[in-house]
Order: sequence, then C-alpha cells, then structure tokens
Amino acid sequence: MPYREKTAWLALLAMAVTFGPYFTMTAARFPASEPMPDLRQLGLFAVTAIVEMLILGAGHLYLRRRSTQEDRMPLDERDQAIMRRSVSSAYYVLIAGMILVGCVMPFNSNGWSIINAALFMIVAAEVVHYGVVVFSYRRQA
Amino acid sequence: MIKGSISNRMRILRFQSGEMSQAQLGQCIGVTRQTIAAIEAGKYSPSLDAAFRIAHVFNVPLDEVFQWEVKAPH
Repeated sequence: MPYREKTAWLALLAMAVTFGPYFTMTAARFPASEPMPDLRQLGLFAVTAIVEMLILGAGHLYLRRRSTQEDRMPLDERDQAIMRRSVSSAYYVLIAGMILVGCVMPFNSNGWSIINAALFMIVAAEVVHYGVVVFSYRRQA
Repeated sequence: MIKGSISNRMRILRFQSGEMSQAQLGQCIGVTRQTIAAIEAGKYSPSLDAAFRIAHVFNVPLDEVFQWEVKAPH
C-alpha cells in the first residue's frame, strides 16, 4: 500500500473516532438553544480536537518509522494528479457547506448550531478529500 | 470526438531489458513503483514527458512503448 494511501486511511480513522462521537453526542445531548458560550460544548470540542491531533501525531510517527526509501520519495506526477482530484472534489463540498452555513443558517439558526454545522461541513470536506485519495490509490487511477 | 484507448508494451520491454523491475524503471524516470504498475495496467496515462523518458530508458521510439487505438463506434 502506498505511503500516502496509509496516511489518508489514518486521517479517515482519526476523524471517524473523534468527530463521529462528537457529532453524535452533540446531536443527542446538547440542545441547540443553549446560551453562548456553552462551556460543555466547548470542552467537548477541545477534547475532540486534542484526541484527533494525538491520533494523527502518533499515527504519522508510526508510519514514518516503518516507511521505506520509496515512501520518502517526493510526490510524482500520479500522486500530484490524485491530490489535485481530491482537493477539487473536497472544495465543492466545502463551498456548498459554507454557502449553507454562512448565507442560509443565519436566518433560522444561531450560536452552536451554526458553529457545529460549519465544523460538520469542514469534516465532510476532509472525508471527501481523503476518501478520493484512498479510492484513487485503490483503483490505481 | 474520436474515442480511443491507450495500451503499452512496458512489461515486455522491461523483460527484454534484462528483467528490469518496476522499481528500477520508476527510479530511472522519477516515479514510484506503484505509478509504473498503474501505467502498465492501463489505469493511469503518464504525461508526455514521462512517456518520452520511458521510451528513452528502453532506447526505443515512443510508439513502440505506447499505442493508441480508435474505439469502434457503437
């Protein structure tokens, strides 16, 4: 498996085990009408972000130690094409999300609803980004 | 637009060049072994620059490495 596919799997895994529970708990436990700043929500977000950073840091260290000389080669033209494809796919998700969050939600939502919607769209764009990377390497495209 | 598909003879040329490995060929043209595997499998079309480099490594003209065939219209 190419090194960059491994790092994409790592990023997907880190998001699944951190932001998956974050959005589930947010939807189940925290009412959107809580006044700002909601310290419980802020605390949950801080823990989620720190755990994700720790998983990514440890994962990258582990992968780096096990990497071969070929893994340390700079991006070749196919890697760059995959990166371009994944970033442009994620951009459409992000821009659609930001239009929704920035132009539509202020009329009918407030506070943490908007913040969490923005976070969700950023995570969704990242999932698309790394998902396209994994898919492209899997099918050798 | 005319539709076509690209095929290549890289695997044969590698074996004719002293059973050169995909990693060795990749090193010669500056791409990874996985990229060479993807090109050989017809899953990835290399840039013109990389295609010329591959032909140069095998010391053959470009059209001996890559062929383009028109797809018959349905």
